[in-house]
Amino acid sequence: MLGPGVAWYVALAAFLFGIGALGVLIRRNTLVVLLSLELMLNSGNLALIALSRHFHNGAGQVFALAVMAVAASEVCVGLGLVVAINRRKLALDVDRLSELRG
Amino acid sequence: MSSTATTAGAWLCLLAPLGGTILITLLGTRIPRVAAAWIATTSVFVAFAGAVWAFFGVHAQSGHFGEITMAWTWLESGSFHVGLQLLVDPLSIVMMLIVSGVGALIVLYSIGYMDGDDEERRYFAYISFFVFSMLLLVEGGNLLLLLVGWGLVGLSSYLLIGFWHERPSAVQAAKKAFVMNAFGDATMALAFFVLIAHTHSLSFAIDFNVHLSSTAQNLVALGLLGGAVAKSAQLPLQTWLPDAMEGPTPVSALIHAATMVTAGVYLIARTHPLFEQARTVELIAAGTGALTLVVAGLIALVQTDIKRVIAYSTMSQIGYMFLGAGVGAYASGMFHLLTHAFFKALLFMTAGLVIHAVANEQDIHKLRGVGKLMPFTKWCFLAGALALVGIPPFSGFFSKDSIVASAAALGTWYGWIFWACGVAGALLTGLYTFRLWFIVFPGEPSAFVREHHHRHHGREGALTMLVPVGVLALLATVGGWLQWAPRWDPFTTWLQPAARTLAVAAPTNTQEYFTSAATVLAGVLGIAIAWAIYSERRLTVPAAPFWRRLLEEKFYFDIAYDLVFYRPAAALAAGLRREVEEPIVLQTGTDLGDTTIATGSLVRKIQTGFLRTYVFFLAAGAAAVVLAFLIAK
Repeated sequence: MLGPGVAWYVALAAFLFGIGALGVLIRRNTLVVLLSLELMLNSGNLALIALSRHFHNGAGQVFALAVMAVAASEVCVGLGLVVAINRRKLALDVDRLSELRG
Repeated sequence: MSSTATTAGAWLCLLAPLGGTILITLLGTRIPRVAAAWIATTSVFVAFAGAVWAFFGVHAQSGHFGEITMAWTWLESGSFHVGLQLLVDPLSIVMMLIVSGVGALIVLYSIGYMDGDDEERRYFAYISFFVFSMLLLVEGGNLLLLLVGWGLVGLSSYLLIGFWHERPSAVQAAKKAFVMNAFGDATMALAFFVLIAHTHSLSFAIDFNVHLSSTAQNLVALGLLGGAVAKSAQLPLQTWLPDAMEGPTPVSALIHAATMVTAGVYLIARTHPLFEQARTVELIAAGTGALTLVVAGLIALVQTDIKRVIAYSTMSQIGYMFLGAGVGAYASGMFHLLTHAFFKALLFMTAGLVIHAVANEQDIHKLRGVGKLMPFTKWCFLAGALALVGIPPFSGFFSKDSIVASAAALGTWYGWIFWACGVAGALLTGLYTFRLWFIVFPGEPSAFVREHHHRHHGREGALTMLVPVGVLALLATVGGWLQWAPRWDPFTTWLQPAARTLAVAAPTNTQEYFTSAATVLAGVLGIAIAWAIYSERRLTVPAAPFWRRLLEEKFYFDIAYDLVFYRPAAALAAGLRREVEEPIVLQTGTDLGDTTIATGSLVRKIQTGFLRTYVFFLAAGAAAVVLAFLIAK
C-alpha cells in the first residue's frame, strides 16, 4: 500500500466540502453557486473512493459513479436554468431570484 | 264473539283518533278548515262507538274480567319483556267511555268555538292526538304503555295550552304545565325502575306482596303518587292548572277538567294492589286530596276570572276523587270522576258560550247579568252548578256523598278529619259556585254586556256548540242516577273485578244517609250565604285584608316556588355563565387562536426567502446531527 494514509484523503475531502459549502452560502452568482455545489459533490466522491480503497470494498466506487451521474444531470438542469435566466435578461443573483418568496 | 268484540272495539277506540290526527296532518291545507274539524269529530265519535262495542264485549263475558290483547312484543331485554298490549277490563272500559264520549261532545263543541281561528287544522290535529294519548293511557296493558300515554297527554296538553302561541302568557303557562308534569313523570319512571329491579316486569299482574320488600313497596307507591299528584294538580304540584286556562275553552273542558287531570285517580285505582300494600302512602294520597279540596275551594272564593273559578273547582273535585281512591273506595272515586266529567265539562262549555258571546271577556264582574241575554246557557250552567254542589237529584249528589261517607267508614281519627274536610269542601263548593252564579247570570245586564254581547245567527252560539251543551246538561242532571249507594250500586258492582272497594272503606247505610244529609246541608248553606252576599246584599264579605290577600295570592305557592326553585336556578345559571362560561370556555378559544398567531409571527422571521439562509440551516442541522452522533459515541 503506497501513498498517503486514508486520513489525508478524508481531510482533503472535508476541506473541499467546506469550501464548496462556504461558496454556496456566500456567493450570489448562480453560476458560482452551481460550481460550489459540484465541488461539494466531488469532495464526497473523493471520500467515497478513498474509503472504498481503505476498506477494500467496491461499493464505494459504485456510489461514486452514481454520484457522478447525478452531478452530471444536475449540472445539465442547473446550467440550462442559468442560460434560460440569462436569455430573459434577468440578474444572475440568487438573492434577487426570489419570486417564490411568500 | 264477546272476545272479538272486546279486542276489536278496544283497538278501534284507540286507533281512530290517531288516524284522525294523521289524516289532518297529511292532508294539510288541501282540505278546508271545516273538513279538518269534522275529521277530528268523526274520529272521536268512532272511538266512542269502539268503546261501546268493547263495553258490550266485556259485559257479555261471565265475570266481566276483561282481557289483555297483545299486538307484538315491543321491548325485549333479557328476561324483561314489554308487549304492545291493551288491557280491556271494567275499569279501562269506564275510562274509555268517559274519554271518548265526553271527548266527542267537546270536539264537536270546538267546531263552533274555534270557527274562524287562524290555525284551526292544527287545533283539531292536536285535540284528536290528545284523545289518542289519553286512550293509550287508560287502555295500556302494562305500566310502560301507561307511562307512554302519560307522557303523551302531557305533551298534547302542553301543545294545546300554548295553542295561541302569540300570547306570551299562554307560552309561559304551557311551559309551566310541562315542567310540573315532567316532575311527576320522573318520579313515576323512578318507581318503575325500582319495580323492574325487583320483579323484572312492568305488568299490572305482579304480586307485589311476594316480590317486594316493604321499603320497595313504599318507594314505588310514593313514585306513582308523585306522578298522580302532578298530573291531577293536587298539592303541592297544583299551580300549573289555573294557568293552563290560557288554552282555548274546549281544551280546558276536555283536558283540564274532564279527562287528563283525572288520570291520577285512574292510576291509583289501576295500581291499587300496590297502594294497598303501602297503605300509609295510600292514606297520604287521601290526605293530599282532603287538603287540596279545601285549599282549592278557598282560593276559588276570591278568583275573578270565570275560567279560573272553575279551574280551582276542578282541583277541589279531584281532591274528592283522591280522597275516595285513597281511602280505598275506588269505585266511588271513579264514579265521581264520571259525574265530574259531565258537569265540569258542562260548566266550562257554558262559560265558553258566555266568553264567546261577550267579546272574549272572562272577568266575572264585567259579565254581570249576562244570563238575561242567554237563557239557555243560564239554565244549563245552573244544572252544572247544582250537580257540582251536590244537590239532589243532580249527579254530584250521588257520587260525592259516597266518597265522604267512605271517609267516615274508616272511623279512625284521620277518617273523621277527611270527613270534616269533605263536608267543609261541600260548603265551600256551594259558596264559590253560587258566588259565580249570582254575579254572572241573574240580574240586569251590565253596560259592558249590553255593548259587547252578540248573537250567532239569532242563537246563543253555533249549533255545534249548543247541542253538546244540551246533551251534557242532561247527563249532568241524570248521570248520577246510575248509582245511589245505599239502594242500588251497579257501577260499584261493575268495577268489582278490577278495583274492589276495601272493606274498611265500605260505609254502612246509616253513615251514607248521615253523610248525605251533612253534605247537602253544607252545600245549601253555602248557596244561601252566596245568595245573601251576592244577590240580596244582606251580608257583606268581612274585610280581612290578610286573609283576602292570602287567598288572592293562592297561598303564596307561586311566589314560594319562584323563590325556592326558579330564582336559585336562574342565579346559578347566571353565575356559571359569568364565572365558567365566559372566562373559561369562551376565553379558551380566543386564547388558542391568539397564541397560534403570536407563535406564527415569531417563526415567520426565519422564513427570509433567501436561499442562503435555508442552506445555512440545512448545513447547520446536518452538522448538529453529526456532532450529536460524535458526542453520543
